[in-house]
Amino acid sequence: MGGDKIILDELAKSVLEMDEDLAQEAAQRAIEAKIDPKTAIADGLSKGMEAAGVKYEEEEYFVPELLLCSDAMYAGLDILRPHIRKDSNKKGCAVIGVVEGDTHDIGKNLVKLFMETHGFDMIDLGRDVLIEKFVETVKNNDVQVVCMSTLMTTTMAGMKTVIERLKEEGLRDKVKVIIGGAPISRAFAAKIGADAYSSTATEAPLTADGLVSASGGPATSAA
Amino acid sequence: MHKDDQMTPKQRMAAFTAGREVDRIPIMPFMGTISARIAGMNLREMRSGPKTEAESQLAGYRRLGHDCLISDYGLHGIGIALGSRVNNPEHGVIAIQEYVLDDLNKIDELDREKVKRKNDPKLTRHYAAAEIMLKEAGEECGLNVNLTGPFTAAASIYPTDKLLRALVKDPENVHRLLRFCTDCLKTVCREYLDLGVGFTICDPIASGTMMKRQNYLDFVYPYTKELVDDLHGLGASAGYHICGNTSKIIEPMVDTGVDMLSLDNAVDMELAKQKVGDRICIVGNVDPTGVMMLGEASNIDEAVKSCFSKAADSPCGFMLATGCDVPYDAPLENLDHFMAAGRKYGQWPLDEARYH
Repeated sequence: MGGDKIILDELAKSVLEMDEDLAQEAAQRAIEAKIDPKTAIADGLSKGMEAAGVKYEEEEYFVPELLLCSDAMYAGLDILRPHIRKDSNKKGCAVIGVVEGDTHDIGKNLVKLFMETHGFDMIDLGRDVLIEKFVETVKNNDVQVVCMSTLMTTTMAGMKTVIERLKEEGLRDKVKVIIGGAPISRAFAAKIGADAYSSTATEAPLTADGLVSASGGPATSAA
Repeated sequence: MHKDDQMTPKQRMAAFTAGREVDRIPIMPFMGTISARIAGMNLREMRSGPKTEAESQLAGYRRLGHDCLISDYGLHGIGIALGSRVNNPEHGVIAIQEYVLDDLNKIDELDREKVKRKNDPKLTRHYAAAEIMLKEAGEECGLNVNLTGPFTAAASIYPTDKLLRALVKDPENVHRLLRFCTDCLKTVCREYLDLGVGFTICDPIASGTMMKRQNYLDFVYPYTKELVDDLHGLGASAGYHICGNTSKIIEPMVDTGVDMLSLDNAVDMELAKQKVGDRICIVGNVDPTGVMMLGEASNIDEAVKSCFSKAADSPCGFMLATGCDVPYDAPLENLDHFMAAGRKYGQWPLDEARYH
């Protein structure tokens, strides 16, 4: 299967080198070569995004580069996803959003991407997300993780309200709550009763993974 | 003058800059939003007109006696003047809802005339507020205009994520936009000039946390230097603040020629002192959320003490400040604790034994 390996490497390379056109071409070739689209995502695109994450941690890549890597990743995903028959072996499902009052969503989008790369299904509520929207989503979906971010100090308090509302609705024990964003700190996470704070987009999925595994994994993964 | 001081901020700053004796070192918490709460108003009320805008700053000054009043032209000022649409939240800072530019090939359609005071109601309000502040307290305290660097101004015209992508994909157009923004900022500065104010250039999007050093050197440094040279040519001073970790760009930041360098709490003041302390007065950097919002008196005392211990002996001087804007929700007493700690450790002559 040397041909498959070449295509998978090209998928990875397209993401790492921020090449949207190559990502589309390689994804198309993967389908023509009958590579399992899940393999093409896991061993191709995601590998490239992980490598980009390493470059980010090593301070070779910064936000502009990650954004362009993510564009290539999504260009490939758009072609591969329709060919996936059934989603399984997922790490779990996470809901993500920027809290009410804040529209800064670059960081949130990067966290979402690395969570996806790591194998989480993501429900993206977008930015300026109403408190009740988080609560409803947890109530109506099989969600294991809630990710919230904000860049502004004026909107930090909204995270605390979401956690309080989850408690009132009896949903708090169902999920792990991870928060992040420039003004957020471990101390703030502890203070408002979040399960974890994540300082970077690449750290978030590892944190989520650790929390979900410790609690026994997604409840209905066999479904 | 505040009851705990012996000099007015104006006397102190003049003496400090000239290397003469002062009563204490200057203290500058960032009072952009929390001053509204001191004045008993919310942020929408504060923004509602020149009187409320001035009153919130003056209320903060009367309570704390800190060393500078602010006229906040704001991070989105250029974009708003040109036509970007913003919201107006009661308890939050304004955010852009719709950008005036959606295509970098349409830069030529932007009209620089719109940033002039006569065409911009927002600048008209800031200018009128500045006049009130100077009338009320200008004898004793200086006024600084907070505006952005060209890069953050560009991000008020064109969405940040697209702007960042364009650094790699379309650098030529980014340069054209930055050229335009630099000219707009020069225009705005001239509109304030007859008030005799100083300027602080804030450039959060140019953060070392966001972009690589080479991007800073290519896209931020040259335009910022041009703006600083222009301000100096007009006889005005320029301070400089970039959010996040700027450790790797701190030397070129000083090369822009600015008169003082304000550091985010993500930067170690000891490192800043070692790298540029012999070239510029460094200002910083108590953690606005971890300490000012979530801490209590003892944490604040400890954090202020640590700033002094790291930076008070910096060769070109040190001023105490917060690392960024004090959160609107921080307890007001924490500002009093901050000032008290600054007055304690910063009492002249400085004495290492107090903070080591």
